[in-house]
Amino acid sequence: MKKNYLNNPGSLKIDLMLRGIRIDDPLVKAWACGTSGVDILLPQNTLVNIPCREEFTKGSPYTIKKRDGNYLITDGAEEVPVSLVPRPEFYNRKTTTGVPFTSIAVVHGSYTVITPSPRCDFFNRSIECKYCAGNFDVKGSSNVTYTVEEVIETVEAVLKEKASEIIYLSIGFSESDDGGISFLKPYLTAIKKHFNCLVAVEALPPKQNHWIDETYAIGADSVLYNLEIFDPELFEIICPGRASLIGRKRYMESLEYAAKIFPNGTVASHLIVGLEPPGSTCMGIDYLTGIGVVPILPIYRPTSSRALRIEPLNAEIILPVYKHLYHAVKKSGVNMNWVRDISMVTTPIEVKTLAGDGASKTTLVENFYKTKIGIKAAWGLSTLRRKLRVKGSKDPSDSKH
Amino acid sequence: MSVEIDTRPIWLLIFLKAVRPLFFLLMGLAFLYAVQMPTPEGLTIGGQRAIAIFFVCLILWVTNVVPLAITSLFAIVLVPLLGVLTQKDTYSLFGNEAVFFILGAFILAGAIMHSGLSNRIALNIMDRFGGSPRKLLLSIFLLAAVLSFFMSEHAVAAMLFPIVLEISKSLGLKPGKSNYGKLMFFALAWGCVIGGVGTFLGGARVPLAIGILKETTGASIEFLDYTIAVFPLVIIMMLVGYMLLTRFFPIDITGVESARQVLAKRLKGLGKMTYSEYCVGAVLGLTILAWIFFGRRFGLATIALSSVVMLFMLRLVRWKDIEEYVNWGIILMYGGAIILGTALDKSGAASWLVNGAIGKWATSPWTVFAIFSLLSIFLTEAMSNAAVIAILLPVSIGMAENLSMDPSIVTYSIAVPAGLAFMFPMSTPANAIAVSSNYITVKDMVKGGFIMCITAWLVFNLVAAYWWPLIGMGYSK
Ligand code: SF4
Repeated sequence: MKKNYLNNPGSLKIDLMLRGIRIDDPLVKAWACGTSGVDILLPQNTLVNIPCREEFTKGSPYTIKKRDGNYLITDGAEEVPVSLVPRPEFYNRKTTTGVPFTSIAVVHGSYTVITPSPRCDFFNRSIECKYCAGNFDVKGSSNVTYTVEEVIETVEAVLKEKASEIIYLSIGFSESDDGGISFLKPYLTAIKKHFNCLVAVEALPPKQNHWIDETYAIGADSVLYNLEIFDPELFEIICPGRASLIGRKRYMESLEYAAKIFPNGTVASHLIVGLEPPGSTCMGIDYLTGIGVVPILPIYRPTSSRALRIEPLNAEIILPVYKHLYHAVKKSGVNMNWVRDISMVTTPIEVKTLAGDGASKTTLVENFYKTKIGIKAAWGLSTLRRKLRVKGSKDPSDSKH
Repeated sequence: MSVEIDTRPIWLLIFLKAVRPLFFLLMGLAFLYAVQMPTPEGLTIGGQRAIAIFFVCLILWVTNVVPLAITSLFAIVLVPLLGVLTQKDTYSLFGNEAVFFILGAFILAGAIMHSGLSNRIALNIMDRFGGSPRKLLLSIFLLAAVLSFFMSEHAVAAMLFPIVLEISKSLGLKPGKSNYGKLMFFALAWGCVIGGVGTFLGGARVPLAIGILKETTGASIEFLDYTIAVFPLVIIMMLVGYMLLTRFFPIDITGVESARQVLAKRLKGLGKMTYSEYCVGAVLGLTILAWIFFGRRFGLATIALSSVVMLFMLRLVRWKDIEEYVNWGIILMYGGAIILGTALDKSGAASWLVNGAIGKWATSPWTVFAIFSLLSIFLTEAMSNAAVIAILLPVSIGMAENLSMDPSIVTYSIAVPAGLAFMFPMSTPANAIAVSSNYITVKDMVKGGFIMCITAWLVFNLVAAYWWPLIGMGYSK
């Protein structure tokens, strides 16, 4: 029997991410052009970035249509109203130094990802992650590094337009003990000095824990060390650089330590669905939630040159993994309200609608954190917590302008 | 910059952060209440306000929530602001002789240390007399005491510490385990403490006490008179200290050959005595003679400052070299304490307070002496000795007047025990330095220190009762 996911935004998001969408509408096509997918808002404010250009999307039952000025997604039998997430206006602009803002920042719902230096040294050693989308200037040939001023201009543009509330700084691998935090420090401190916004940092696990202390002290409100694959053997095969130069053990140690330093629910790690058996992902979920880390589950998007996906893979197989995610996070008492509303991945709170037993109702707290006051309160609490916890270092927001 | 993350529960951190503002708020409210409440019988409005200021300073000095000097500045602000003394009177009290004597003593001690003279004397004495474990121990004990007659005991402890530490290491003594290691650091700390009460120069507390005495009663204590009065106490406590130490921690080594090598090496490194060491030594010698023979005529501060001027005229020191030895915080603290003491006295608050608090028990001069010396010796274990004087002296002088006691005797009863801090590392820097060696534990110090405290109090009272009459001093005027 053909399953219908259209009436549940949680399962629809997963199925759409898994199968992609066909776009006939020229307007939407133009919108999605040049991006990795199309950002759509499903019912219940569920945000999703749907692949639309890859080969595998051609077989998707889903299409997007426009009727009476409104958009809807249909699988041919049923349909559900959706809305297109407008393309941020700042995408059309450049920094004063002439760099297009799109080169520096990409909006993914509540997060805007900024990569000050889009390079990863794994590529120079041919030990890059096999699934890597290659958004990084892999060989470091052009060696682009955006200046602090350029990044600040970008953040200003993002926040002014209210494109998202959280700035997500990311960095690829570089040969250093600190996992890249010393490189990100001037950007992070400058952002904290100029803006009252939350900042998440995606870095590689540092060799010593004091760098994690430093990451928190200089102003990171959330940290991600993405393990990506839980199965030890597959981790070594798929992520040879991470496995040989950092090691799975160090990922786990760093995550466990960070969970003790950062607020509950702000330390996260990706586990990519589709690169390892679902059972292994579930074990990863249990392990991460057990140490106080939020698992985030992106779905692998195969390309014609990198068909790493385990087969068969369909929503029926992976939905139980997401249900397990919700229950495991809930059981471990890890806060789900911090990591949410990211179009590229699925966070625990988004799969609440799958969990059944009345869990699908949104609580007052969840709604509060989405409001303007809620965002301000989250920033205020995070800043206060840092002031109380950090000794021997100055809070970056204290520095004089 | 190194970063540390406090992972204690957040409610505890919030509570700890809130404690300080809450503390100040409560203190402010209590202060306002004390100032506004109906004036008690027998007390003037000025006296009531002086007492309110006194209690605020008392709390701040005891809790140390702000530096001692800042509490004193607070007193200096509050006294004229509440009209206890006029602005002119308040600030003129800062020009007290004691303040300038302390300044002069700091600079003189700085010159001795900077020239290397104190270091040379210490090394020579230990090298010459430290031929066996017992002799080496005695020479450290006596040296610490004798040097503390001439310069601040804190400075002596700081100066001798590296030498004693090197000796312990060269003897292979295990920190926390070796009895001889404990003995040496106890000898260092207790030598400084006991020697520090021997003259005006061992610490700034005696000049401070005399400053308060002079401002409130016009009476004073001379340099030599003071030393003669307390010398038996110093001798007896040195003996008791030595016996107690060697009984508690029997000497557990047989030879000190390697220590002698260290001393010889250090001495060699000093080279021959320099011109500036000779001259600084001569200036110090002359200064002490002048204090003894001309102290009454010219004033101690005048002599100290003349010597300072001479040091600079002879180019024996430069201001840059001396600056680090001058503890401006202590000078501010003393100025404030003198102002507060005078305010309590002039407003009649001191005698009113003492009568109310211990008037019932203090029926004879002897009991007043015993009570104040006991209070002083135990308070000094927990707080700065200068703060003890600032708190107890003005009120005790008030009480002395009621009982027709000689106010200078009451000054002794507080100023001398205030220097006898044996029990805790925080009692005095000399103890803290000794504990920092890791050879002595806090438990060791409390155990031995308690016995020393009680003994010192008893001996001090006996000295007052039996020695002082022989030199013409008595409880009554
Ligand atoms: S760490 Fe792996 S996924 Fe990230 S940029 Fe480098 S190769 Fe790509």
